[in-house]
Amino acid sequence: MLARVALRVVILNRKVALRMLNSITDVREILATQQYIASDEICTAMFLADKLGKPLLAEGPAGVGKTELAKSWALANGRELIRLQCYEGLDETKALYEWEYAKQLLYTQLLREKLSDLLGDSRTLREAADRLANEEDVFFSERFLLPRPLLRAITSDQPVVLLIDEIDRADAEFEAFLLEVLSDFQVSVPELGTLKAKHQPTVLLTSNNTRELSEALKRRCLYIHIDYPDLEAELRVIQLKVPGLSPKLARQAIEYVQRLRKMDLKKHPSVSETIDWARALLELNSRQIDKSTLDTTLNVLLKYESDIQRAKRALQGGERGDRPERPERGDRPDRPRNRYPGGEWNN
Amino acid sequence: MDRRITEFIAALRAAGIRVSLAETADAMRAIEQAGITDRRLFELVMQTSLIKDAKDFTTFRELFPLYFGKEAPPPLQQPGGGQLSEQEHEQLMEHLAQMLAQMSPEQLAQLFRSMMTGQPLSAQEMGQLMDGIAPPHVSNPRYRDWMTRQALRELNFNQLNKALRELLDALRDEGMSEEALQAIEQAARENQAALAEQIGQQVAQQMAEQARGDGQAIPRQRSESELLDRPFDQLNERDADDMRKIVNRLAARLRTRLALRQRRGKTGTLDAKTTIRTNQRFGGVPMVVRHRKRHLKPKLVVLCDRSVSTERVMTFMLLMVYSLHDQLSRTRSFAFIDRLHDMSRYFNEARPETAIAQVMDEIRPTRSYSTDLGYALSEFVRDHLSCVDQRTTVILLGDGRNNENDPGLAAFAQICRRARRVVWFATEEQRKWGVYDPGSLSSDIYKYAPMCDAMLEVTNLRQLADAIDRLFVRA
Repeated sequence: MLARVALRVVILNRKVALRMLNSITDVREILATQQYIASDEICTAMFLADKLGKPLLAEGPAGVGKTELAKSWALANGRELIRLQCYEGLDETKALYEWEYAKQLLYTQLLREKLSDLLGDSRTLREAADRLANEEDVFFSERFLLPRPLLRAITSDQPVVLLIDEIDRADAEFEAFLLEVLSDFQVSVPELGTLKAKHQPTVLLTSNNTRELSEALKRRCLYIHIDYPDLEAELRVIQLKVPGLSPKLARQAIEYVQRLRKMDLKKHPSVSETIDWARALLELNSRQIDKSTLDTTLNVLLKYESDIQRAKRALQGGERGDRPERPERGDRPDRPRNRYPGGEWNN
Repeated sequence: MDRRITEFIAALRAAGIRVSLAETADAMRAIEQAGITDRRLFELVMQTSLIKDAKDFTTFRELFPLYFGKEAPPPLQQPGGGQLSEQEHEQLMEHLAQMLAQMSPEQLAQLFRSMMTGQPLSAQEMGQLMDGIAPPHVSNPRYRDWMTRQALRELNFNQLNKALRELLDALRDEGMSEEALQAIEQAARENQAALAEQIGQQVAQQMAEQARGDGQAIPRQRSESELLDRPFDQLNERDADDMRKIVNRLAARLRTRLALRQRRGKTGTLDAKTTIRTNQRFGGVPMVVRHRKRHLKPKLVVLCDRSVSTERVMTFMLLMVYSLHDQLSRTRSFAFIDRLHDMSRYFNEARPETAIAQVMDEIRPTRSYSTDLGYALSEFVRDHLSCVDQRTTVILLGDGRNNENDPGLAAFAQICRRARRVVWFATEEQRKWGVYDPGSLSSDIYKYAPMCDAMLEVTNLRQLADAIDRLFVRA
């Protein structure tokens, strides 16, 4: 049974992969198959990235689904996802390739006899060295190259999706190093020459905007800014990901989250945290969002004690966020204050 | 269309958005792929390929409708909405011809004909029409409606109402049915509105073109070195923008230098443990030798005199220090006037530029303020001394003019004992140090000087950059 299901999934994926992307709606549809709800901006950007073969740089606050986009895209197109997580101090040997010394060493050990055969009848040292030099290629071939994510994405036989996650964490030098890869989809290995991509990978870069990226990098990419979704969009996401939650409670929860995002907090709740919270509410069989529910579950949503305190106060005091609004006066319509009432003089 | 797009890109550039030639080419290719039939899609395509910074989106959205707003002029109606009989139509045309012959000036007659017959004005005719009136004298898109109204007034657009009434009266006298008259009037009114709209578009375009002209006129780049050497107190608002750009560039340059220094700094003593561990795979033969990393990233504590005289230099210093934050392990910053204010929380939450604006806005001198460094230092020792340790460099930015208050030397000495280094950034030229000044009286700077590891004069950007660079050099 399970096997059959798995098979069907594979076939489904193949079908999806074979379909040509002709319009933005196609993009939306194939992302929807992976339960990813994409806005117009995202669809357009993915469509263009696919059509123009350019990398796409997605910026935005943490947890709005930038990484998820890459995953869904890979799954929806039936491609392998190769992920490069950036961090401070990341360098070429970890991102691109490394020589596999151990294997080289092992091979020289095992091939010692063969080597002595080869070199045995040479008379001078120079001749032996020359002969050895002729065979040098064996030891510096792709056989001994340990591919890291970037090289893997470039040399792969199948088209892949390359995700370069949180590029803003890597050093500026690494960013410069990426430029060659991103503009020409090729890398230079001094001992081997230039390796060109067999299939151009779809490249997605994400950034949490902790530092400004260089102009050169931005110029080579298409750009999209993913922000927190609005109420309706987030509601759709929750209904899709946590189907068991009652619509009323879901709406209440999202309204609360949206209100939190307007407040002055150290860290705003992300979409993924909203999903976690919705799951928690479902598990706890909550009926409505009241003080006791918040007491037990708010730590899923907020990660700082001061934020939690503030959020609780906001809910209980009926205080609307941190912005006290002017009391509305129903007795007369709003009229301009402190202004000359007879229209503007300057026109 | 291509021309329109290039014009749009030129306008984006004039508005201060960096759009390179490569990006223009990308946009063209993208449009080829996506087509231009769907306006919303077209906008998104342009946005994705041209705009690379979230803060430029607003500019883009303001400019876009100006260039691709309602590209085609609104369609005009047939006379009477096509409901007139042959005879009625002829009557109308006859009267119209009579009226047009008498009408002056000629532009108005043109407009009236177009309004009644439903034949749109050609681009050439429209151009002539607009040439006849004064071009808009404001280029800010906000005033578009106002400038349109002015153009319509100049064209005597309201005369068209009168002409229409006369025409209808004449037709009524001829005995045309009320229904036909109504149909004629309605179509004519709609056409009138459409023409007004078209004129509005023309005006908007003229304004955009002017704006572009203005935009090109402004960039009058002063040389970088000139600005670098200009004293902070002689900078005006207009320079501030250029300066900010230079600061960013300087910070980028410093960063590369620091990174290099850090890399070379790796060759310390042999780290036996890590070397053995990494060489396990070679059977213990030490192929790769690992060295102990030096902790070069300094911790900073910054104390800034936030008074009017040091406002500028403080802005630039904070901007530079915080744009180098990835080269520092931790930065705490405080501002003092007569008391100490913690600024770090602003920087934790926002980007440096926004944070600085907030700081300037929220921590401001009161009306009768007087700088009291001594008290601020004692407060620092009381509340925040724990953030100074033997890896911390303390920077004090100020002029050391203390308004005859207690200089707080004991507290300062305590900080100096704990910190790795204390560096004073003096905001006055060296010749003014310690000199009596009628405004703020005596200067205590030489009382602090013996305790500091260095006293640096920071009166222009070049000195500031040098001073910050020296922070990272291992003493």
